[in-house]
Amino acid sequence: MNSLKSVVVLMGVLMLVLAACSSGSNGDSTSAPAAPVAPLSTVLNGVPGIVDPTNTGWPRTVDVLNGLVTIDAKPERILTVSLGHDEVTYAMVPASRVVATGSYTKLAQHSNVAHLAEAVGAITLDAEQVVSYNPDLVIASPFTKADFIDALRNVGIPVVQTKLHNDPDGRIQDIILLGYVYGEVDRALELADEVRARYDALREVTGSKPVSDRQRVLSLTSYSDKIYTAGANSTEGGIIEAADGINVAALAGLDGNPTTSLEGVISMAPEVIFIPQPPDSGEPFREQLLANPALAEVPAIKNGRVYVVPNKFFTTLSFWNLRGAEHLALLLWPDDFNSGEFVGFSFPE
Amino acid sequence: MSRVMALGAIRTNWRSSNISVVTRLAAASAVLGVLLIVAMLASLSMGPVSIPVTHVASIVLEPIGLDFATYSRTEELVIEQLRLPRIIVGALVGMALGVAGATMQGLFRNPMADPGIIGVSAGGALGAVIAIALGISGIFYQALSAFAFLGAMGAAFLVYGIATVGGRFNMATLLLAGVAVSAFFGAIVSAIMILVPSNEALREILFWLTGGLDSRSWEHVRLAAPPIIGASAIIFVMSRDLNLLMLGDDEAKSMGVRVGAIRPGLLAAASLITGVAVAVSGTIAFVGLVVPHMLRLVVGPDHRVLIPLSAVGGALFMVIADTIARTVVQPAEFRVGIITAFVGAPFFIFLLIRNKRHTTAF
Repeated sequence: MNSLKSVVVLMGVLMLVLAACSSGSNGDSTSAPAAPVAPLSTVLNGVPGIVDPTNTGWPRTVDVLNGLVTIDAKPERILTVSLGHDEVTYAMVPASRVVATGSYTKLAQHSNVAHLAEAVGAITLDAEQVVSYNPDLVIASPFTKADFIDALRNVGIPVVQTKLHNDPDGRIQDIILLGYVYGEVDRALELADEVRARYDALREVTGSKPVSDRQRVLSLTSYSDKIYTAGANSTEGGIIEAADGINVAALAGLDGNPTTSLEGVISMAPEVIFIPQPPDSGEPFREQLLANPALAEVPAIKNGRVYVVPNKFFTTLSFWNLRGAEHLALLLWPDDFNSGEFVGFSFPE
Repeated sequence: MSRVMALGAIRTNWRSSNISVVTRLAAASAVLGVLLIVAMLASLSMGPVSIPVTHVASIVLEPIGLDFATYSRTEELVIEQLRLPRIIVGALVGMALGVAGATMQGLFRNPMADPGIIGVSAGGALGAVIAIALGISGIFYQALSAFAFLGAMGAAFLVYGIATVGGRFNMATLLLAGVAVSAFFGAIVSAIMILVPSNEALREILFWLTGGLDSRSWEHVRLAAPPIIGASAIIFVMSRDLNLLMLGDDEAKSMGVRVGAIRPGLLAAASLITGVAVAVSGTIAFVGLVVPHMLRLVVGPDHRVLIPLSAVGGALFMVIADTIARTVVQPAEFRVGIITAFVGAPFFIFLLIRNKRHTTAF
């Protein structure tokens, strides 16, 4: 009987120890002390996609674009298929936990994490190739084909398909959701605070401007004679709004990234034009715009306010767009930013 | 009516008085010509920048001294530098595709033949896609047009080379070689689209493959006008011979046609204008197929009438299609190739159904 008591007591102690371990490694940091459960669950409670905000252990379940997905353990071999997700992922986890990225992520002209992604493999959307990297989690975008996701599921690899947003609140939620998926909620909250603080700093400047001072802004890119603009619900449109400009393409009723014409540019009468494409093609396009006599009366052309901007800040879809908004705000309000220099975002140590 | 009957009609008609040909040609040309002028003027008056019709008319007529309204410098430049060259390029491309389509349909005695049947369009597409994939198209002006033209002409030479044995070529082999080369080039284009790393380049390729007249300038007019007008005129001069070729080689020879020279001459001219059209506008489907076919239903199969009317009809069709493309969602734009198919296909089907009981074509 005594020995039975001893066994029961021992098991109880063991369970308490295990519970403590589980709480201490609540999935969000391997070495940090346990975060207080109540505040954390409160934060997680407001994030769409997190099924049980009180569950900070493993397994954990998220409700995402491809349905309910359960992740059994903290992912250590992460593979993502879109540039935006890659940028959020590298900001959240040590680079050693990423096993492969999309090929676009490796191009420094387009990607803000190219320096981190250069060491890992590049994938196409071939399921077998993805399997060859032996990932324990794949992150997919809304554009990833359903059969690709199904193929990975069938071989037992969990796939989390999420949409990345282009508004400030949506970006914060994207960061926290992926932080939860990766078991890096602490780091996610830290990054969310960083992003939020920079949005606030930007708003502090732009928000002080009278409405009448808001400038009419147009995003243009040109590839092989065709001219594209950015209307409502576009990444560049979100950046214009974040910089407190007036997106004239959205004002003209355009949505997404349709083609337009030089005559369309005249009719939209922008005061500022920015060209988010690499300098080797962006500069010649800028010169064409400035030299075209038909555009001479367009305010942006007349005043020489046509700028080629780093496309990796403007065309990716991640919180790095905030860096683009800062860049644009500096062009719109050059006297209001003391240093005129902005830095990148932090990465996990 | 069967093809034999149609050929019989040509056999009978070509000997008949040239006066009836001239009369038919003049009457139909007058109608289509007036419609083309009206369409071009209407197109000039429409666009994202609102310009009163009186201003448009004044700007257009100013060179002949009829300057009756005050207009701004911007309005003048929009008309002269943006709308007018684009409309003219559109008309030239339509003219080229119409003439090339009528010629190919005649040469191959097949109403389903179109200007791309011998691989010229596929070659042009491959050239343009290579320029886009290598990033050359964004670096220097006209690179895309130059690559597309080289691709189109390269395809034409390749197909002719395959089909030529001992200095002569066989039409059936030519047709099959065209199909094979088109499929091969299409596969290369698909491979490039899969491998190209940039999303922008991929989107650009897809857009180019649907054809468009974005940002066409006087430079494009200068590039396209001489070969298209020149080669179309040559085809028109040879249109009587084209009629006789439809009777068969032996009969054509017996009537004095130098088959060995006329047929490759017609093919080369049709390939040239198709290549130029592809170079300045991308691959625009349906115009070269539907315009000659529709006109043949109206004016009959005589190429002395059909060729010039296909030129005017093709121009008219393209001007209308491009006007729709650039105004329907302004200040954004549609691709004109999408409009030609949207507008042309239902109308074509309507004509086919209407005429199926008494068609005289072929």
